[in-house]
Amino acid sequence: MSKADTPKVLTGNLLRNGATVYYTGSGWSAHVAEAQVAATAAEAEELRKIGAAAYAANLVIDVNVVDVQPTAEHRPTHIREVIRATGPTVRPDLNKSMSPG
Amino acid sequence: MYIYDDFDHTIAKQRVAEFRDQVNRRIKGELTEEQFRPLRLMNGLYLQLHAYMLRIAVPYGTLSAAQMRKLAHIARVYDRGYGHFTTRQNIQYNWIKLEQVPDLMAELATVQLHGNQTSGNCVRNVTADHFSGVIDGEIEDPRIVSEAIRQWSTFHPEFSWLPRKFKIAVTGAEKDRAAVQWHDIGLHIVRDDAGEVGYAVYVGGGMGRIPVLATKVRGFLPKRELLSYLEAILRVYNRYGRRDNIHKARIKILVRDLGPEEFIRQVEEEWEASRHSGVNLPPEEEIRIARYFEPPAYEKIAVPVAAFEDAKKANRAFAQWISTNVHPHKTPGYAIVTISLKPIGGIPGDASAEQMEAVASLAERFSLAEIRVSHIQNLVLPHVRQADLFAVWQELGKIGFANANAGLVTDIIACPGLDYCSLANARSIPVAQRISERFADLDRQHKIGALQIKISGCINACGHHHAGHIGILGVDKAGQEFYQLTLGGAGDETASTGQLIGPGFSSDGIVDAVEKVIDAYLDLRQPNETFISAYRRVGPAPFKEKLYGVSR
Ligand code: SF4
Repeated sequence: MSKADTPKVLTGNLLRNGATVYYTGSGWSAHVAEAQVAATAAEAEELRKIGAAAYAANLVIDVNVVDVQPTAEHRPTHIREVIRATGPTVRPDLNKSMSPG
Repeated sequence: MYIYDDFDHTIAKQRVAEFRDQVNRRIKGELTEEQFRPLRLMNGLYLQLHAYMLRIAVPYGTLSAAQMRKLAHIARVYDRGYGHFTTRQNIQYNWIKLEQVPDLMAELATVQLHGNQTSGNCVRNVTADHFSGVIDGEIEDPRIVSEAIRQWSTFHPEFSWLPRKFKIAVTGAEKDRAAVQWHDIGLHIVRDDAGEVGYAVYVGGGMGRIPVLATKVRGFLPKRELLSYLEAILRVYNRYGRRDNIHKARIKILVRDLGPEEFIRQVEEEWEASRHSGVNLPPEEEIRIARYFEPPAYEKIAVPVAAFEDAKKANRAFAQWISTNVHPHKTPGYAIVTISLKPIGGIPGDASAEQMEAVASLAERFSLAEIRVSHIQNLVLPHVRQADLFAVWQELGKIGFANANAGLVTDIIACPGLDYCSLANARSIPVAQRISERFADLDRQHKIGALQIKISGCINACGHHHAGHIGILGVDKAGQEFYQLTLGGAGDETASTGQLIGPGFSSDGIVDAVEKVIDAYLDLRQPNETFISAYRRVGPAPFKEKLYGVSR
């Protein structure tokens, strides 16, 4: 599913409250647009290591590196990840946007 | 309603304290996720796409109004104001925070509710006919034995780590509303020739990747010997079930691999060795449990009830609702009301905190404070006086739950699917919503008649698609949502497995496909012939032709 030349972001769910979050380079954000993007395989590997460390530190669970489109919003390529990034499509009232503000 | 004794209360409280400690240790990092995950699952706590999900058992589908109020409170305080009733008579909350779960569980325990054994490889919440105790022609209220099984299976040390999850369902009437043949063990309460009450025992039913209807392993098992017989079945399964392969670990595969005869032989042999070990329910205990399910004090009501008959004549919409959502009660002058959680375009099985509270109030005012949860993702008011039906219908209208569609094309079962579920391949709910909107016209629905559409977002089949007259299964086709269509499934006493009709459909195409299938049925049906009867008479060919243009 994941292609080597597709940009990638690191995502997981916070241990304490389960919220879906993205690694920003310095912390974790609810918004995929704020994620740090890995453009190369080496950068993606770096994200994986950061994810493994955050998991080991009991900060996030269900850690994954996922494909995103090369846009400012970093819209995930797979629908599953789009839904994770925004919320259930059947409850627009509860959805969050990909970008903050 | 069954009322916990001191023992039940003690173990419920101990479990809350134990889990509180486990959560604290996890948050402090003293437990790893690998260590903690099985512990949280034992308490019904999953991680889904957006948050933790908590699944709470509603034993055999019976809730008091007070419990429903508590569920509303949980939705409001610990979730985002709503919950989802499932095909296993459970309720799920979608936005749970781990750090709040111990307090949530403590609140639930005050009304005898919990998430124990709603996940994990143990005996799950026992399900039963949602019309138990109130429908005419029932041999015995299946909740009595369900409660006995609940007590026996709760934290059962020998059966807490089975090869895979284990689901038991019980029905007490001839008509099977509990889908017993689709369960690991299904019990159908019957009488033998001498008039003694016992069980027809079915084993090895299940959906998922390999749908199998259960094998009838005993035509008649005397009532008193049930628990020792269940124990024998579970022992054989525990010993020989496939722990090496998750896809082959359910008891259905063991029954298939051994062959029904050999499986039965082993169970009977195990049973002979242990049936006098003392596990069977003592008669006085059965009497004690049965007392909680004795019929309430109904009023003596002369029928017909004029006000009710007049209201039906005067109001066509009300009469339409009566024809689908109200079933005769065994007591004259009373009725059983199905509350449709399937508003047109709504989310099947979802209810907001306000709706739950409104249902609790209706139950208090009109149904002796009792509610049922059905596996069709609806609610039931089991004891409504006919004279009150009009008022109940009007009140339900105010909360959007008065749809006259129970058992019709828009009474769709849909699992949470890709909108919530981390295992999903495709969304289920939006497909249900679009079908519901397509068939919104109530006259058209009534013209189509009895029809069950069931939708699952992946092969785990939580939406029971194998048992749908029309079943829809979401798959992932090269990153796109795609839907397979099966026809001819059923979950009642004529249970059958739906058959794949042909190539699948895109998300855009699936609703048209369903409409074509229904049009084909309307063209070929005989007078008063339901969809499933027509399908069984003519087979798949005319439907294939309508869908794909050629008969294959
Ligand atoms: S059928 Fe699949 S998608 Fe639907 S709830 Fe079950 S596991 Fe999730």
